[in-house]
Amino acid sequence: MLLNVENLNVHYGRAQVLHGIYTHVQEGELVCMVGRNGAGKTTFLKTIGGFMRPSSGTITFRDQRIDGLPLENVALKGIKYVFQDKRVFRELTVRENIELAAFPVKERMDEAIGKVLSIHPGMEKHLDSKAKGLSGGERQILLIGRALIGNPQLLLIDEPTEGLAAKIIGQIVGILLQMKAKLSMIVVEQNLATVSRLADRIYVMKEGVILREIADRETIQKPSLYEEDL
Amino acid sequence: MFSKIEKNPFLTLAIIAGGFILFGYSTSLPKITDFMIFCIFVLGFDLLYGHMGQLSFGHMLYLGAGSYGTAIFAAFVTPDPFLGIAVGIFTAALLAFILGLIVVRTSGACFALLNLALNEVGAFMVLVPFPQWTGGEDGLSLFFKSYGFLNFANPTFLFFFVLGSLLAVSYLIMRFVRSPYGMFLKATKENEVRVRFLGYNTYIYKLITFVLSGSIAGFAGALNTINLSYTSPSLIDPTRNVEVIFAALMGGAGNVMGAIIGGTAFMTISNYLARYIIRWEMFLGVALLIFAFKFRKGIWGYLRKV
Amino acid sequence: MLQSILFGLTIGGILYIIAIGLSLTFGAMGIVNFAHGLIYAIGAYALYTGLSWLGLNFFLGALLAVAVSIPISYVIERFVIRKLYGQAIDYAIIATYAVLLIGVDAIKWIYGPNPLPIGDPIGESIAFLSLEMPVYRLIIIGISFLIFIGLSLFFKKTMVGKIVVAGLQDQEAVRSLGIKVEKYFAIVFILGSALAALGGVLYAPISTLDPYMGFHILILCFAVVIVGGMGNLRGTAIAAFALGMVMSITGRLWGPAADAMVYVVMAVVLIFRPIDV
Repeated sequence: MLLNVENLNVHYGRAQVLHGIYTHVQEGELVCMVGRNGAGKTTFLKTIGGFMRPSSGTITFRDQRIDGLPLENVALKGIKYVFQDKRVFRELTVRENIELAAFPVKERMDEAIGKVLSIHPGMEKHLDSKAKGLSGGERQILLIGRALIGNPQLLLIDEPTEGLAAKIIGQIVGILLQMKAKLSMIVVEQNLATVSRLADRIYVMKEGVILREIADRETIQKPSLYEEDL
Repeated sequence: MFSKIEKNPFLTLAIIAGGFILFGYSTSLPKITDFMIFCIFVLGFDLLYGHMGQLSFGHMLYLGAGSYGTAIFAAFVTPDPFLGIAVGIFTAALLAFILGLIVVRTSGACFALLNLALNEVGAFMVLVPFPQWTGGEDGLSLFFKSYGFLNFANPTFLFFFVLGSLLAVSYLIMRFVRSPYGMFLKATKENEVRVRFLGYNTYIYKLITFVLSGSIAGFAGALNTINLSYTSPSLIDPTRNVEVIFAALMGGAGNVMGAIIGGTAFMTISNYLARYIIRWEMFLGVALLIFAFKFRKGIWGYLRKV
Repeated sequence: MLQSILFGLTIGGILYIIAIGLSLTFGAMGIVNFAHGLIYAIGAYALYTGLSWLGLNFFLGALLAVAVSIPISYVIERFVIRKLYGQAIDYAIIATYAVLLIGVDAIKWIYGPNPLPIGDPIGESIAFLSLEMPVYRLIIIGISFLIFIGLSLFFKKTMVGKIVVAGLQDQEAVRSLGIKVEKYFAIVFILGSALAALGGVLYAPISTLDPYMGFHILILCFAVVIVGGMGNLRGTAIAAFALGMVMSITGRLWGPAADAMVYVVMAVVLIFRPIDV
């Protein structure tokens, strides 16, 4: 088991936003967190990533407790976060974005760039342009590519297809499926059609709790079966 | 026990009055008069810092405005102390209103620094351009009329007048805090955006509070002028802002007892400690540091929990 | 007129050198660092110590001053600034102000409360267009340009610089890559403090030393930072030179109002661009 979350409780100040969350991820799995806005999906992802501390509960990564670790340490353990909103370093060039990712893990630039180009060869012509000049889809791909640097074992991906055109979504789904061979992923995703193509397993979240876990592929591929739960 | 005192305004006032009378008659009336005037200043400042939640690094401006307003009125118009006080308060209030229109739009570090900058401009205005009115570096020496027993030169009368003023200001603040305005202020301090979303004009509330705070500071300044029959640029000196900030923090921000305890504590330290510890300003800095890290609720903050 | 412009550039250069550290700390950590003024004063007083007590020449004295500032700013960063990360801004202001107070009193204790003069180390002027321009002031302008270029290169080309620039934009994202941004901000803090000390050294010969000098320059620097934008390197440079000119020209027309005018400009800027920190 790669990641195991048990009985996770998270508070914002005095308000409790996550209640007794449990999740597990195996090697090579792509798990989706599904639920409507406000269900707590991003909070959950951020807690695993180390952006927030849980008030109680455990997060175990390869037999090591990581709950409460500062987020730099979580990243260095091989868990990388891919932000929402295509959040790259806009004022830096694509190359510099990659450089920043390569630095802490001491990866060579040619290897790092290679990784990004392997998921999107078209990025090569943008290497020295400022990231803010890229299209939304390209920025999202850069974010994903950046997260691949340093050979992470688990990616935490927050709404990767939000606001993108169908064709780009298809491209990103293809990239994520391609990545499954090398690492595991937890993807927060609202678009159920995308979920049905990506997920090995789903957790349905509602109002800060896990409502259901769906593990069989047939059900996953028919969103109408779990849509009302949201 | 202490938290019960806080809940009952009249008990609070009674304790304040009793405390100062005791303190005054056991040490010296004029000295405690000084203490009480400073406490009024701290109360005014605390309205801004404790209740509105904004730290100003330039509140001496309003103390100075009140002080000089009264002084100039007494020197050039008429030395009537009561009118003088009114003029002092009015001067500070007007200044707070005009400047507040801009200042209240900022918050955080900008609020703190903008007030400091304005304080510096104010100090400049007092020192340089109009020495014939303000007395420049030397300040103004004054004399005030008396009306029979209403004689400010009489230490006993002055003591009780200032005590009465302190009680009045304390009561005013306690009422203000419990009023709807006060409630809005508290809500704004915690989450201004939410209060605005509810449709309230937080700008107006903040402006009113700023003017009130400045007026109280001006009142303290006016009383100071009458107390000493003298005013000088040290009343508007920006480097002295740390005194009132320290007092508010040390006593406990956001409530009347805290402000008064803080003011008294500070005056005690600066009056008596200076005799025993030469480097008392360094001591003040260290104490401030300790309070900023460890005792943020101040003395009253801890006593309340008892 | 040319004299005023030259003087304005001189003041602007010095303001830039000192303000840049303040701007970075403000932009990076969201902390208003009053203790910055203390390092500036320490730089000047260390120079004085070097010149008067140790008999060093100006250059070595300057080196001493900058060297002394490094451990002191490290201690301040480690034990005060770092503890204030992410906390309410009030406490950061109060705590750093307390440090300034302690330091000012320490200076008063060691050197006495009276102003101390330091002479112009070069003492020569060059003639240009029928005016006498002190060489020293030209050197200051030169140094400030060099520092500007140096810093630009530092932030554009070095890894530390790029981390800080990215960190100023989006601290969380940098940390999520596994980079301990705090460490790099600390480096920048010390760099900024060293520059403040340098500013103190450079300004000392054209003004006098007094224990409260740190406090005075601080507010001017806050004005620069606010006008130029927190964490904005180019903005700080432009604002510094602009305000330097304001001071110089106002000083020429009505001497004592020079400082006050800066505050008026700062207030005006804040009216039209209120910043919420």
